[in-house]
Amino acid sequence: MEVDILELSDRSAKFVLSNVRTAFANSIRRAMISDVPTLAIEYANIYDNTSVIYDEQLALRLSLIPLITDIESYVPQARCPTCGGEGCPVCEVSLSLSAEGPGMVFSRDMISSDPKIQPADGNIPIVDLKKGQKLVLEAIAHMGYGKDSVKWQAGIACGYKNMPIVSIENCDACGKCASECPKGIIHIEESGATISEEDLIKCSICRLCERMCEISAIKVSFNESAFVFTMESDGSYSARDLVLNAAKVIKGRAEELVGILDRL
Amino acid sequence: MIPVRCFSCGKVVSNYWVDYKKRVEAGENPAAVMDDLGITRYCCRRMLLSHVELVDVLSPYQ
Ligand SMILES: [Zn+2]
Ligand SMILES: [Zn+2]
Repeated sequence: MEVDILELSDRSAKFVLSNVRTAFANSIRRAMISDVPTLAIEYANIYDNTSVIYDEQLALRLSLIPLITDIESYVPQARCPTCGGEGCPVCEVSLSLSAEGPGMVFSRDMISSDPKIQPADGNIPIVDLKKGQKLVLEAIAHMGYGKDSVKWQAGIACGYKNMPIVSIENCDACGKCASECPKGIIHIEESGATISEEDLIKCSICRLCERMCEISAIKVSFNESAFVFTMESDGSYSARDLVLNAAKVIKGRAEELVGILDRL
Repeated sequence: MIPVRCFSCGKVVSNYWVDYKKRVEAGENPAAVMDDLGITRYCCRRMLLSHVELVDVLSPYQ
Protein backbone atom coordinates (compact mmCIF):
# COMPACT_ATOMS: atom_id res chain seq x y z
CA MET A 1 0.00 0.00 0.00
CA GLU A 2 1.28 3.43 -0.94
CA VAL A 3 -0.02 6.88 -0.14
CA ASP A 4 0.94 9.87 -2.25
CA ILE A 5 -0.36 13.15 -0.83
CA LEU A 6 -1.32 15.71 -3.47
CA GLU A 7 -2.87 18.37 -1.24
CA LEU A 8 -3.18 18.58 2.52
CA SER A 9 -4.64 21.40 4.54
CA ASP A 10 -6.26 21.53 7.96
CA ARG A 11 -9.75 20.82 6.62
CA SER A 12 -9.25 19.01 3.33
CA ALA A 13 -7.00 16.50 1.66
CA LYS A 14 -6.37 14.91 -1.71
CA PHE A 15 -4.22 11.83 -2.03
CA VAL A 16 -3.55 8.80 -4.19
CA LEU A 17 -3.89 5.46 -2.44
CA SER A 18 -2.36 2.70 -4.52
CA ASN A 19 -1.83 -1.06 -4.42
CA VAL A 20 -5.06 -1.70 -2.53
CA ARG A 21 -8.35 -3.32 -3.49
CA THR A 22 -11.57 -1.40 -4.13
CA ALA A 23 -13.07 -2.92 -0.98
CA PHE A 24 -10.33 -1.43 1.18
CA ALA A 25 -10.54 2.00 -0.46
CA ASN A 26 -14.29 2.00 0.03
CA SER A 27 -14.03 0.92 3.67
CA ILE A 28 -11.75 3.92 4.34
CA ARG A 29 -14.28 6.20 2.69
CA ARG A 30 -17.18 4.74 4.64
CA ALA A 31 -15.30 4.81 7.94
CA MET A 32 -14.52 8.52 7.48
CA ILE A 33 -18.21 9.24 6.93
CA SER A 34 -19.92 6.99 9.43
CA ASP A 35 -17.58 5.25 11.85
CA VAL A 36 -15.31 7.91 13.32
CA PRO A 37 -17.04 9.14 16.49
CA THR A 38 -17.33 12.88 17.06
CA LEU A 39 -18.93 15.14 19.64
CA ALA A 40 -22.20 16.88 18.81
CA ILE A 41 -24.97 18.41 20.87
CA GLU A 42 -27.66 15.83 21.62
CA TYR A 43 -29.80 17.42 24.37
CA ALA A 44 -30.59 21.04 25.08
CA ASN A 45 -32.24 22.32 28.23
CA ILE A 46 -33.81 25.55 27.08
CA TYR A 47 -34.60 27.82 30.02
CA ASP A 48 -35.58 30.88 28.04
CA ASN A 49 -36.11 31.44 24.33
CA THR A 50 -37.98 34.48 23.08
CA SER A 51 -36.19 34.54 19.73
CA VAL A 52 -37.89 34.13 16.34
CA ILE A 53 -37.00 30.46 16.02
CA TYR A 54 -38.66 27.55 17.82
CA ASP A 55 -36.91 25.57 20.54
CA GLU A 56 -36.76 22.51 18.26
CA GLN A 57 -35.17 24.39 15.42
CA LEU A 58 -32.77 26.03 17.81
CA ALA A 59 -31.72 22.61 19.11
CA LEU A 60 -31.23 21.40 15.52
CA ARG A 61 -29.01 24.36 14.71
CA LEU A 62 -26.96 23.77 17.85
CA SER A 63 -26.55 20.07 17.07
CA LEU A 64 -25.12 20.75 13.61
CA ILE A 65 -22.27 22.90 14.94
CA PRO A 66 -19.07 20.82 14.69
CA LEU A 67 -17.15 20.59 17.97
CA ILE A 68 -13.40 20.00 18.10
CA THR A 69 -13.22 16.43 19.34
CA ASP A 70 -10.59 14.81 21.48
CA ILE A 71 -10.92 11.10 20.65
CA GLU A 72 -8.51 10.16 23.46
CA SER A 73 -10.51 11.60 26.35
CA TYR A 74 -14.09 10.87 25.29
CA VAL A 75 -15.85 7.60 24.50
CA PRO A 76 -19.08 6.98 22.58
CA GLN A 77 -21.90 7.12 25.11
CA ALA A 78 -23.53 3.82 24.10
CA ARG A 79 -20.40 1.94 25.16
CA CYS A 80 -19.26 4.14 28.03
CA PRO A 81 -17.53 1.87 30.59
CA THR A 82 -18.19 4.30 33.47
CA CYS A 83 -21.90 4.94 33.22
CA GLY A 84 -23.17 2.40 30.69
CA GLY A 85 -25.01 4.97 28.60
CA GLU A 86 -26.62 7.21 31.22
CA GLY A 87 -24.23 10.12 30.84
CA CYS A 88 -21.12 11.01 32.80
CA PRO A 89 -18.04 13.26 32.36
CA VAL A 90 -16.30 10.54 30.31
CA CYS A 91 -18.89 10.65 27.56
CA GLU A 92 -20.54 14.07 27.71
CA VAL A 93 -19.65 17.77 27.67
CA SER A 94 -21.97 20.57 28.62
CA LEU A 95 -22.00 23.89 26.82
CA SER A 96 -23.96 26.82 28.13
CA LEU A 97 -25.23 29.81 26.26
CA SER A 98 -26.93 32.92 27.50
CA ALA A 99 -27.45 35.96 25.35
CA GLU A 100 -29.66 39.00 25.17
CA GLY A 101 -30.60 41.07 22.12
CA PRO A 102 -30.06 43.03 20.06
CA GLY A 103 -27.36 41.20 18.16
CA MET A 104 -26.40 37.98 16.44
CA VAL A 105 -25.59 35.01 18.68
CA PHE A 106 -22.59 33.10 17.35
CA SER A 107 -21.25 29.64 18.15
CA ARG A 108 -18.25 31.27 19.92
CA ASP A 109 -20.68 32.61 22.58
CA MET A 110 -21.16 29.09 23.93
CA ILE A 111 -19.19 28.38 27.09
CA SER A 112 -17.87 24.84 27.28
CA SER A 113 -17.31 22.96 30.54
CA ASP A 114 -14.17 21.46 29.00
CA PRO A 115 -11.86 24.14 27.54
CA LYS A 116 -10.50 21.62 24.98
CA ILE A 117 -13.93 21.12 23.46
CA GLN A 118 -14.93 24.21 21.50
CA PRO A 119 -16.94 24.85 18.35
CA ALA A 120 -14.67 24.28 15.34
CA ASP A 121 -15.92 27.50 13.78
CA GLY A 122 -16.60 30.42 16.08
CA ASN A 123 -18.55 32.45 13.56
CA ILE A 124 -21.56 30.18 12.94
CA PRO A 125 -24.69 32.31 13.44
CA ILE A 126 -27.13 30.59 15.82
CA VAL A 127 -29.91 33.16 15.96
CA ASP A 128 -30.36 36.86 15.38
CA LEU A 129 -31.82 38.36 18.56
CA LYS A 130 -33.84 41.56 18.35
CA LYS A 131 -34.15 44.12 21.16
CA GLY A 132 -35.52 42.54 24.33
CA GLN A 133 -35.24 38.92 23.10
CA LYS A 134 -33.43 36.45 25.31
CA LEU A 135 -31.80 33.07 25.05
CA VAL A 136 -30.67 30.94 28.00
CA LEU A 137 -29.84 27.29 27.54
CA GLU A 138 -27.56 24.44 28.47
CA ALA A 139 -26.59 21.97 25.78
CA ILE A 140 -25.21 18.47 26.34
CA ALA A 141 -22.87 17.06 23.69
CA HIS A 142 -22.27 13.31 23.26
CA MET A 143 -19.87 11.23 21.28
CA GLY A 144 -21.75 9.53 18.49
CA TYR A 145 -21.40 7.96 15.06
CA GLY A 146 -22.09 9.45 11.63
CA LYS A 147 -24.24 6.45 10.77
CA ASP A 148 -26.75 7.54 13.45
CA SER A 149 -27.04 11.21 12.52
CA VAL A 150 -25.32 13.73 10.23
CA LYS A 151 -24.42 15.85 13.25
CA TRP A 152 -21.81 13.21 14.14
CA GLN A 153 -20.50 12.93 10.60
CA ALA A 154 -16.91 14.15 10.49
CA GLY A 155 -16.10 13.40 6.85
CA ILE A 156 -17.68 15.63 4.23
CA ALA A 157 -17.75 14.92 0.50
CA CYS A 158 -15.43 11.93 0.87
CA GLY A 159 -14.99 10.24 -2.45
CA TYR A 160 -12.55 8.49 -4.69
CA LYS A 161 -12.10 7.55 -8.32
CA ASN A 162 -9.78 5.09 -9.98
CA MET A 163 -6.55 6.48 -11.32
CA PRO A 164 -7.17 7.22 -15.02
CA ILE A 165 -4.94 5.76 -17.74
CA VAL A 166 -5.04 7.37 -21.19
CA SER A 167 -2.99 5.89 -23.99
CA ILE A 168 -2.56 7.65 -27.34
CA GLU A 169 -1.15 5.83 -30.36
CA ASN A 170 -0.89 6.74 -34.07
CA CYS A 171 -2.68 10.06 -33.52
CA ASP A 172 -3.32 12.19 -36.63
CA ALA A 173 -3.71 15.41 -34.55
CA CYS A 174 -7.23 16.11 -35.85
CA GLY A 175 -8.06 17.85 -32.53
CA LYS A 176 -11.59 16.47 -32.10
CA CYS A 177 -10.74 14.84 -28.77
CA ALA A 178 -9.26 18.08 -27.42
CA SER A 179 -12.37 20.10 -28.23
CA GLU A 180 -14.66 17.43 -26.78
CA CYS A 181 -12.85 16.91 -23.46
CA PRO A 182 -14.98 18.57 -20.71
CA LYS A 183 -11.90 19.00 -18.50
CA GLY A 184 -9.82 20.55 -21.30
CA ILE A 185 -6.74 18.49 -20.48
CA ILE A 186 -5.89 17.23 -23.99
CA HIS A 187 -3.42 19.39 -25.91
CA ILE A 188 -2.71 19.02 -29.61
CA GLU A 189 0.87 19.15 -30.76
CA GLU A 190 2.34 18.39 -34.15
CA SER A 191 3.09 14.82 -33.17
CA GLY A 192 -0.48 14.30 -31.92
CA ALA A 193 -2.60 14.67 -28.79
CA THR A 194 -0.89 14.76 -25.41
CA ILE A 195 -1.93 14.92 -21.77
CA SER A 196 0.54 16.13 -19.18
CA GLU A 197 1.31 14.06 -16.10
CA GLU A 198 -0.39 16.42 -13.63
CA ASP A 199 -3.45 16.91 -15.85
CA LEU A 200 -4.11 13.18 -16.14
CA ILE A 201 -5.47 13.10 -12.57
CA LYS A 202 -8.23 15.53 -13.60
CA CYS A 203 -9.61 13.05 -16.16
CA SER A 204 -13.10 11.95 -15.15
CA ILE A 205 -12.98 8.81 -17.36
CA CYS A 206 -15.99 10.04 -19.36
CA ARG A 207 -14.57 8.50 -22.57
CA LEU A 208 -15.91 11.30 -24.79
CA CYS A 209 -12.49 11.60 -26.46
CA GLU A 210 -12.51 7.88 -27.21
CA ARG A 211 -15.92 8.17 -28.88
CA MET A 212 -14.92 11.21 -30.96
CA CYS A 213 -11.76 9.64 -32.34
CA GLU A 214 -12.46 8.20 -35.81
CA ILE A 215 -9.24 6.19 -36.00
CA SER A 216 -9.41 4.83 -32.40
CA ALA A 217 -6.05 6.35 -31.54
CA ILE A 218 -7.01 7.29 -27.98
CA LYS A 219 -7.87 4.70 -25.34
CA VAL A 220 -9.13 5.48 -21.84
CA SER A 221 -9.00 3.00 -19.00
CA PHE A 222 -8.27 3.07 -15.29
CA ASN A 223 -6.00 1.47 -12.75
CA GLU A 224 -8.08 -0.90 -10.62
CA SER A 225 -5.74 -0.75 -7.67
CA ALA A 226 -5.03 3.00 -7.44
CA PHE A 227 -7.50 5.53 -6.10
CA VAL A 228 -7.57 9.30 -6.12
CA PHE A 229 -9.22 10.34 -2.85
CA THR A 230 -10.73 13.71 -2.09
CA MET A 231 -12.06 14.38 1.39
CA GLU A 232 -12.93 17.21 3.73
CA SER A 233 -13.44 17.37 7.44
CA ASP A 234 -16.16 19.38 9.18
CA GLY A 235 -13.58 20.65 11.67
CA SER A 236 -14.09 18.16 14.50
CA TYR A 237 -10.76 16.60 13.42
CA SER A 238 -8.06 17.81 11.10
CA ALA A 239 -8.18 16.08 7.70
CA ARG A 240 -5.06 14.12 8.63
CA ASP A 241 -6.45 12.90 11.95
CA LEU A 242 -9.73 11.94 10.32
CA VAL A 243 -8.05 9.59 7.83
CA LEU A 244 -5.86 8.14 10.58
CA ASN A 245 -8.85 7.61 12.88
CA ALA A 246 -10.77 5.96 10.04
CA ALA A 247 -7.87 3.57 9.50
CA LYS A 248 -7.77 2.84 13.25
CA VAL A 249 -11.48 2.06 13.26
CA ILE A 250 -11.01 -0.48 10.45
CA LYS A 251 -8.01 -1.98 12.22
CA GLY A 252 -9.98 -2.25 15.47
CA ARG A 253 -12.81 -4.04 13.68
CA ALA A 254 -10.43 -6.47 12.01
CA GLU A 255 -8.84 -7.25 15.37
CA GLU A 256 -12.26 -7.75 16.91
CA LEU A 257 -13.11 -10.24 14.17
CA VAL A 258 -9.85 -12.13 14.73
CA GLY A 259 -10.66 -12.26 18.47
CA ILE A 260 -14.11 -13.69 17.80
CA LEU A 261 -12.74 -16.26 15.35
CA ASP A 262 -10.12 -17.35 17.90
CA ARG A 263 -12.82 -18.07 20.46
CA LEU A 264 -14.82 -20.28 18.11
CA MET B 1 -31.56 32.02 9.46
CA ILE B 2 -29.08 30.47 7.06
CA PRO B 3 -28.95 26.64 7.50
CA VAL B 4 -25.86 25.64 9.49
CA ARG B 5 -24.69 23.03 6.98
CA CYS B 6 -25.16 22.29 3.33
CA PHE B 7 -28.16 19.94 2.89
CA SER B 8 -26.34 17.72 0.42
CA CYS B 9 -22.73 17.36 1.50
CA GLY B 10 -22.76 18.54 5.12
CA LYS B 11 -20.13 21.26 4.82
CA VAL B 12 -20.64 24.10 7.29
CA VAL B 13 -21.78 27.05 5.16
CA SER B 14 -23.37 29.35 7.74
CA ASN B 15 -20.01 30.68 8.93
CA TYR B 16 -19.57 32.37 5.55
CA TRP B 17 -22.98 34.05 5.62
CA VAL B 18 -22.22 37.32 7.41
CA ASP B 19 -19.18 37.90 5.21
CA TYR B 20 -20.97 36.84 2.02
CA LYS B 21 -23.98 39.05 2.67
CA LYS B 22 -21.84 42.08 3.42
CA ARG B 23 -19.77 41.68 0.26
CA VAL B 24 -22.71 40.98 -2.04
CA GLU B 25 -24.60 43.97 -0.67
CA ALA B 26 -21.51 46.06 -1.39
CA GLY B 27 -21.94 45.14 -5.05
CA GLU B 28 -19.59 42.19 -5.55
CA ASN B 29 -20.54 39.32 -7.83
CA PRO B 30 -21.85 36.39 -5.69
CA ALA B 31 -19.92 33.84 -7.77
CA ALA B 32 -16.65 35.71 -7.24
CA VAL B 33 -17.31 36.02 -3.50
CA MET B 34 -17.99 32.29 -3.17
CA ASP B 35 -14.87 31.42 -5.18
CA ASP B 36 -12.90 33.65 -2.87
CA LEU B 37 -14.41 32.09 0.28
CA GLY B 38 -13.56 28.61 -0.97
CA ILE B 39 -17.08 27.32 -1.55
CA THR B 40 -16.43 25.16 -4.57
CA ARG B 41 -19.26 22.62 -4.85
CA TYR B 42 -22.54 23.69 -6.40
CA CYS B 43 -24.55 22.06 -3.59
CA CYS B 44 -22.95 24.46 -1.08
CA ARG B 45 -23.10 27.43 -3.45
CA ARG B 46 -26.86 27.17 -3.85
CA MET B 47 -27.23 27.25 -0.04
CA LEU B 48 -25.89 30.81 0.07
CA LEU B 49 -27.12 31.93 -3.33
CA SER B 50 -30.77 30.95 -2.77
CA HIS B 51 -31.09 31.88 0.90
CA VAL B 52 -33.77 34.41 1.89
CA GLU B 53 -33.32 35.92 5.33
CA LEU B 54 -36.70 36.08 7.11
CA VAL B 55 -35.67 36.99 10.66
CA ASP B 56 -36.40 40.68 10.19
CA VAL B 57 -39.77 39.91 8.58
CA LEU B 58 -40.89 37.55 11.34
CA SER B 59 -39.54 39.28 14.43
CA PRO B 60 -42.48 41.70 14.99
CA TYR B 61 -44.91 38.75 15.29
CA GLN B 62 -43.13 36.90 18.08
ZN1 LIG C 1 -20.50 7.81 30.49
ZN1 LIG D 1 -22.50 21.10 -0.24
